[in-house]
Amino acid sequence: MMRTFLSLVNKEILGFLRAWGLVAVVLYAFTLDIYIAGKGIELQAKNVSVGYVDESGGVVSLKILERLHAPQFKPPVRFLSQKELDRALRNREIMVGLLFDNDFSRDYERSGHARLNVLLDATAAAQSFQALQYLQHILLDFSEIHFPVGLKIHKLFNPNATTSWFMSLAELLSMMTLLGVILTAAVFVREKENGTWDMMLLMPVDPRLIILAKSFSQVLILSLGIVIATGLILFGAFDVPIHGSIWAFFLLSFFYAFTSAGIGLFVAAVSRSMMEVAQLAIFIMMPLIFLSGAWTPIHAMAPWLQKLSLISPLRYYIEGSESIFFRGTAWGDLWPYFAGVIGLGALVYLYGFRRIGRLF
Amino acid sequence: MSAPLLDVQNVTVRYKETVGIRDASLRAGEGEILGFIGADGAGKSSLMHAIAGVIRFEGMIRFRDRTFRSPRQAEALKPAIGLMPQGIGLVLYRNLTVAEHLDFFAEIRNLKQDAAFRAYRQKLLEMAGLARFTDRAAGHLSGGMMQKLSLICTLLHRPKLLLLDEPTTGVDPLSRLELWEILQQIRREEGTTALISTAYMQEAARMDRLLLFDGGRIIAQGRAEELTRSVRDYCYEPTDCPESRCIRTLDTTYSLEPLPAPKKEPGLEALFFVEAIRRGKIPPAIEVSPRESAEPIPPVVMEARGLTKRFGDFIADDHIDMRLAGGEILGLLGANGAGKTTFIKMLLGLYPIDEGELTLLGRPIRSAADRRELKARIGYVSQHFALYKDMTVLENLRYFASIHRIPQARARERIRRYAEELGFAPYLHALPGDLPLGINQRFSLAAALLHEPVVLFLDEPTSGVDAIARAQFWQLLQKLKERWGIAILITTHYMSEAEYCDRVVLLKQGKKIADDTVENLHRRFPEAKSFEEIFLRFYKEDG
Repeated sequence: MMRTFLSLVNKEILGFLRAWGLVAVVLYAFTLDIYIAGKGIELQAKNVSVGYVDESGGVVSLKILERLHAPQFKPPVRFLSQKELDRALRNREIMVGLLFDNDFSRDYERSGHARLNVLLDATAAAQSFQALQYLQHILLDFSEIHFPVGLKIHKLFNPNATTSWFMSLAELLSMMTLLGVILTAAVFVREKENGTWDMMLLMPVDPRLIILAKSFSQVLILSLGIVIATGLILFGAFDVPIHGSIWAFFLLSFFYAFTSAGIGLFVAAVSRSMMEVAQLAIFIMMPLIFLSGAWTPIHAMAPWLQKLSLISPLRYYIEGSESIFFRGTAWGDLWPYFAGVIGLGALVYLYGFRRIGRLF
Repeated sequence: MSAPLLDVQNVTVRYKETVGIRDASLRAGEGEILGFIGADGAGKSSLMHAIAGVIRFEGMIRFRDRTFRSPRQAEALKPAIGLMPQGIGLVLYRNLTVAEHLDFFAEIRNLKQDAAFRAYRQKLLEMAGLARFTDRAAGHLSGGMMQKLSLICTLLHRPKLLLLDEPTTGVDPLSRLELWEILQQIRREEGTTALISTAYMQEAARMDRLLLFDGGRIIAQGRAEELTRSVRDYCYEPTDCPESRCIRTLDTTYSLEPLPAPKKEPGLEALFFVEAIRRGKIPPAIEVSPRESAEPIPPVVMEARGLTKRFGDFIADDHIDMRLAGGEILGLLGANGAGKTTFIKMLLGLYPIDEGELTLLGRPIRSAADRRELKARIGYVSQHFALYKDMTVLENLRYFASIHRIPQARARERIRRYAEELGFAPYLHALPGDLPLGINQRFSLAAALLHEPVVLFLDEPTSGVDAIARAQFWQLLQKLKERWGIAILITTHYMSEAEYCDRVVLLKQGKKIADDTVENLHRRFPEAKSFEEIFLRFYKEDG
């Protein structure tokens, strides 16, 4: 029994290692892809290009411009007319255009009330509005109004609000899902494609053992992948802090790997070729990731979507992992996440198991 | 002979890592039919595609008065060339009717659809026997009809040079005869030159000249009688001989040195054997040691009554009765689509049985549970030798051994012995994809034999394999039968292989049309020269 199981697992691992294309994809997904996501997806305003036209000739405008500095802003560029500023904005040379017109200094000095015209390229919505907020802060500093309450801010868990920590972790967890589905489906569908499916059916082995061994082999590969990604990218490249137990994270990942393997079993049951696997995997994955809170906080979703997200196992996995990494939640308090991942995972895995089992 | 219509000089086709055909030269005159004979991967298709101007090659090809060295230069000649690639119905569209196909091919060829064209089109339809079926979708035609339709679609633009890549492989004997009749008539009336590759040696007699392909080279060319005459001195009735200098098959012994045995009239395949001896590529003799298990072989291994399989409206197998006795080689013969593979898959439980009763190894089969323990006593080699391509031969065998729970020491010993006896020991650490078909065939059989089954199901194990490997394979089956006494059910579309079976069942479009021992068949048709002829009778009788 054990020997059969091991040789089934061994065969799949061997098959995986020999399919260098697949190995390359998995390595990419667990390293470079997560690195790019951490580096590339920036929600904060950074390096915003600013252009301005200064017809006021006053000191105030220069003082304001002085306050636009790195890392949020690039050095502002001067334009000679409003028309040029307009053109630069449309050509995406700048994201923010400031227009100090003739009346600006005059009004400011006479009435203490001036109007600064701001042109925004709102295609990069989040960034341009953040830039606007910075601008408002700067202007607020200038204003004479004294309000007797100031803010003293304590950013918990992620003091510098480093986006890369969050993004790389979320990407890693999404990749776990996607790869789990595709790898598991692949071990079955490749047999269909290569015509070895019949040979598999004719083996004098309990079909349940075959399914279990095949999916377990991919869970092993995923588990190894998550260790590599955590060490190399999360800790190595981004210095993500971990306040909880890394073993808790690995254990949660191990259980979650079975969940995604379960989806993979279902996909394998209904696909005849790797092409169909890829299509179906993306089709199933997208809502799962949308609903998980990987890209948007769950509390910001429409109420009915929030309810729906309760049945996404990825949600518990992401929330659990964030708790382990950033909040340092203790083992005992992690049970809702473990319960969510194991409970939903068991359902998904059993369903997939029965679907593919019907083909035996 | 005047200047040849086609002159091919030193053509070599290279693929990324392999050479398709090396240094091939040939000439063909107007109205000549040239036959390409050889196994899969011997270089026939590569040369044909080079001549058709669809792949890159080195060397030179002259057709009429134009010379080309690349597909681009061949472009101007395309209207005069017709190529029919390998694979039944490959150029057809399942949902288009026969008439729509002809219209479609006329349009892409930009043919003027005048009265003369319409008359020619009608004549083709009648020659192919498709005139009554112009409204039928190609997907609903039989394999033979599909090939006839493909052929007349290729003939529609009246090519002067016809290139047909295995047009008859897997086609039933009657349709094959009809395909040949169409070709003869076209050659007579249009003066078309044709290059035709074939998997069947028997068809060689219909060619004007033959080219024999082996391992990417042309090893001989000439008229069939000339070729067989050239090796007549080397063929003997089966006899013993020094192993290193001759090759023995079930019905012939080939030797360059004189042997004290009666001579035998050779067939074309003799050329491949003689060539192998000349080049010192003598395959090791096949040996089979007795099986270790003492499990007795039951007198009746399989009994099927009225087995039926339907796919929608299509009846793949129609109430088939069959009986397989212990120690018997039963040949299940038929064209592609006759229902051979479906039948085997029903026996194995890979397809549910729609109707009928099946008894396997003395046990009536009603559910999947009935089959479970039988799996360990059945050996199966599927079409195309489907084993794991990403594992070496040795890894594959080890895997199957452990799945069958053969103790490790015994498994190691058995794998070593099979590798020696079946002659694939040098290839144990190679990946199956890099090996010749013949080696794959024998190692797949070894995988199916590891657990010493009492019955073997083999689905087209000889398809596309070269003459020598095929002869060896049949020798091997014979030895297995003698030494092990196991029952073997084998499917094949080579009618000539019926000779090596004890009993044959002939299927035609899902129906059994013949079932008799080989001896009886010979007795019933004493004047028939080959099994090809015998089966043709059954086909004609059946209407």
